[in-house]
Amino acid sequence: MLFSRIPFGSVCLLTMLLTVSTSTYADDRNASPDKERELLAVLESDSPGAEKAITCKLLAIHGSAAAVPQLARLLENEQLSSWARIALEAIPGPEAKAALRHATNSLTGRLLVGTINSIGVGRDAEAVDLLVTRLQDPDAEVASAAAVALGRIGNPAAAKALRPLLATSSAETRSAVAEGAVLCAERFFLADDHDAAVALYDDVRKADVPRQRILEATRGAILARKSDAGIALLIEQLNSKDLALFQISLSTAREFPGSHIDKALAAELAKAAPERAAMVIHAMADRKETVVLPAVIKAAGQGPKPVRLAAIGALGRVGNDTCLAPLLQAGVESDADLARAAREALSDLPGASVDKEIVSRLAKAEGKSYPLLIELVGKRRISAIPELQKALDNSDKNVRSAALAALGATVPPKNLSILITQFVSPKHADDEAVAKQALMAACIRMPDREVCAEDLSKALAKSEVSSQTALLQILGAVGGTKALQTIGTSAKSSEPELQDAASKLLGEWMTIDAAPVLLDLTKSAPDEKYKARAIRGYIRIARQFVMPEPERLAMCEQALQACRNPGEQKLLFDILKRYPSIDTLKMALKLTQDVPELKDDGTQAVMAIAQKLNTKGDEVVELLSKGGLGKVKLEILKAEYGAGPTQKDVTETLQKQASDFQLVSLPQSGYNESFGGDPAPNTVKQLKVQYRINGKDGQATFAENALIVLPMPK
Amino acid sequence: MSHKSARLPRRQFLKSALAVGGAIGAPQIIPSSALGLDGFTAPSERVIIGGIGIGNRGTYDLGCFLEQKDVQFVAVCDVKEARRTAVKKMVDSKYGTEKCDTYRDFRELLDRKDIDAVLIATGPNWHATAAMNAAKAGKDMYCEKPCTKNIAQSLILAETMRRTGRVFQAGTQRRNLPHFAFACELARSGKLGKIKKVFAHPAGMQAMMSGWLVPEPEPDKNIVDWDTYLGPAAWRPFNAKQLDGFNFEKGGGLVGGGVLEWGSHCVDLCQWAMGDCAPPVVYNAPKDGQLVAVYENGAELIYRETGWIPLGSCPVRFEGETGWVEAGDSGKLVLSSPELLAGREVAEIGGYPATFHVRDFLDCLKTRSQPKGNADAACNAHIACHAANIALYLNRQVKFDNTTHEFIDDAQANRLRSEALREPWRL
Repeated sequence: MLFSRIPFGSVCLLTMLLTVSTSTYADDRNASPDKERELLAVLESDSPGAEKAITCKLLAIHGSAAAVPQLARLLENEQLSSWARIALEAIPGPEAKAALRHATNSLTGRLLVGTINSIGVGRDAEAVDLLVTRLQDPDAEVASAAAVALGRIGNPAAAKALRPLLATSSAETRSAVAEGAVLCAERFFLADDHDAAVALYDDVRKADVPRQRILEATRGAILARKSDAGIALLIEQLNSKDLALFQISLSTAREFPGSHIDKALAAELAKAAPERAAMVIHAMADRKETVVLPAVIKAAGQGPKPVRLAAIGALGRVGNDTCLAPLLQAGVESDADLARAAREALSDLPGASVDKEIVSRLAKAEGKSYPLLIELVGKRRISAIPELQKALDNSDKNVRSAALAALGATVPPKNLSILITQFVSPKHADDEAVAKQALMAACIRMPDREVCAEDLSKALAKSEVSSQTALLQILGAVGGTKALQTIGTSAKSSEPELQDAASKLLGEWMTIDAAPVLLDLTKSAPDEKYKARAIRGYIRIARQFVMPEPERLAMCEQALQACRNPGEQKLLFDILKRYPSIDTLKMALKLTQDVPELKDDGTQAVMAIAQKLNTKGDEVVELLSKGGLGKVKLEILKAEYGAGPTQKDVTETLQKQASDFQLVSLPQSGYNESFGGDPAPNTVKQLKVQYRINGKDGQATFAENALIVLPMPK
Repeated sequence: MSHKSARLPRRQFLKSALAVGGAIGAPQIIPSSALGLDGFTAPSERVIIGGIGIGNRGTYDLGCFLEQKDVQFVAVCDVKEARRTAVKKMVDSKYGTEKCDTYRDFRELLDRKDIDAVLIATGPNWHATAAMNAAKAGKDMYCEKPCTKNIAQSLILAETMRRTGRVFQAGTQRRNLPHFAFACELARSGKLGKIKKVFAHPAGMQAMMSGWLVPEPEPDKNIVDWDTYLGPAAWRPFNAKQLDGFNFEKGGGLVGGGVLEWGSHCVDLCQWAMGDCAPPVVYNAPKDGQLVAVYENGAELIYRETGWIPLGSCPVRFEGETGWVEAGDSGKLVLSSPELLAGREVAEIGGYPATFHVRDFLDCLKTRSQPKGNADAACNAHIACHAANIALYLNRQVKFDNTTHEFIDDAQANRLRSEALREPWRL
């Protein structure tokens, strides 16, 4: 929302208040008495409420004790009370607090509630007596506010006043009284007065108060008791039939200090009903440092399936090498869910000794365990090349596939040739697809991509066309100079398949060095469609990549030379609009004038660039005039935004934004934001504009968020 | 939030996510079955959800909730009749019933004992106040961002969620997308070496104002409840232009704006990359389109407008002593070295869908674990945004003490830490 829309108030004050540039308050490290006096003068004046409101907000930053009396007077003003409290809460010192206390003598209803809330925020201990009195206020909102404010103050006097009301206050205020008591108890706990905290928490637990207050008090009572007594209370809740108490015990268990609680949870796990045991396991595993693993391992191995699933998952997060054997066993179970969960857990299982044990077991593995262990070698990135090479000769395709995937994940540069050979000349034809995937995975993680690309390029030179296409894709993923060179050469080869694959890869290249290769292809590609692809790829680089602006402009010139039709030339406008400068404006103008088919798009682009060059107004106007796109006399007659019968009149906004050009820029990036909200949510909307340019009437319709360039009426 | 984004079927995502494999590459979404939850979700044990303030973004979020089999959406609250009606129609159409209840006052919705959790998608003016009220009413919540208007609210949010034991998920859905998760994990796990700089793209580092416009005739309360719409914001007369909750009172007016709007996503990701540590302690004045903040350990959090690899909106970049990673909303990653992938394939999911974040919330609601966008994480990330906004507004360096949660020897900055709420609202 823009303050500049406020049509009243002194211009100079609004300028001061509303210019929210980062430099406006650059010198305001300390409150300035002059500024404060200036602001207070506004409060004293007959200025409209809007000005007084923002003045209060600024006094929150610049005000001192001197501002308090005037701010306090606003506390009884229904419109400005909330603004005044913004300042009174912020201004430090006893004066503001005293003013808030004093105001409670005369205020009633919501204004009194707000003032009491502010007293609570300030934790004003001197207000305890008056708040205690207000606990008996017939207005339940006032009494509730007082109870919570006392809780925020949280001293013994506040607690003393609140405690009896846990039993005697009205139903309407009981929840707030309990909230205040819990806040007090929290203060006691933080001040290390645990006995007082426990006593107050227990009072709330026993009181007839809303369930949520009891849960809060229960959590507090457990934490304040600490050690064994706290654990005993927690376990009592864990076994409660009440689901909410069970849940609060779980979240409190996660907070409880020390390791005794872990042993207690482990003991309870064995006794818990299945529907609760899984939840207990999650709480145990969230205490990563002290979790009792044997209990979780046991739950992972036997019992109801959901509990086992929870335990297996937990072991993956917090287990160690003692969990390997049971998880391996679960990983080959016939139940697919359990097996999958175990495999995932095995992939994640922490501990270096786990890797060593897996390799050791690999040597003598058989049956279902063999591919599982190979899979783990890959997923855990364990170095076991000899073992994996041996597995490539296995007669079982599952074993070979697992070995290829594992090699893809682990093979070092010096052994990359293993995978290249497996792909280019596989021993088993049905291994080719897996080998390709593995080679891709290996190549994109090679530390020296130039060496990797060299190896791949050599293999490519000796391969069949079908393999060459796949190798090009891998080279594209690897990137770098050598890959670029090989792909560039392939794009000009005599094989249409290679031309297609290579030119696609170049069109998506992620570094700027593809530009000269693409430019060359715009002339030398063997097929017209690949020349077109090269032009688009070249323009994409100029549009998307970071580079010095002269270089970008030079690329635009080169692209212009290479373009063969208006459709391609039109793409240049996207670059020129994205990087507005006098030079790009000149180029857009020239293109608009030289190519009749581009007149409409060019005019839009020119206007968009011109709009962004508002600091170079004279030069822009001169260029536009020379280009026949100079200033016009524009009047907005009517504008509506919406869908179907739901139309919002946005004439005023557009009139305000209209200038001497055919382009109308909006104050915000989107139509909804600029026009004060979405008039028809979830529907396609249009903006319809009736206007007059140089005395001629015109009308135009724009899709939502389109650039508003008004066509010259005929 | 008004950004539209695609939803993916959960099965499709899980397939992608599970294909990732390994602790680093995985987006750390655990399917319900692996949590041991699916087997116990009888229809009578569905999570009963209500919605508060369901506009454009809320409708998108609601769609994500309605996709979940274990969700039953039963009620909507909105100050605008048109929104209440539209959401009821959407929900009833989904279930083939007429049972979605409508409320103008969210306190009535919170009073319902059958509702377990709420989706809060009001404008940012209401997020924190509604969240605190929901927690005190015993509801878990998924709350859109930015979640708070200032530093004090951020701290109170975290305290309240701890005290009440409620599960809170901020609408920072990028935490549950695999490429962002992978990038953050690279940083956290030391794969990039000691982290020296993390970069966020606040997209518009300037303050936004929410003021007092020309009075217009106030509609009937049942059409638009202006008093409730204003809620905790200081009073002003009705003006239809301010009914766009997206921009209204973002950050409370003076010091809100760009850093908060996008920072609650990208600064949040930087915080995650830094291990969800305490926010930076020094925030310098903006210079040349960037603002540099410094963590206690010397690492820098840099809010910058330009210089990004074109990877879509909301880009982040993490630089360590031995490597770097950059990621954006396209779902793509760029790494300083392919070795960082270590053979992993990171699922590429563009368009920042919230489906997985919603699922994470629902799973944690059942286990009482902390979701990715939990209140402590949100608190730290929001403080980093608010403090940067204060440095931006004052146009000078400010220093923040993470123990006292105050600016050091800086009365002026400290006055901007909080702001009074309009009566009768309190946190």
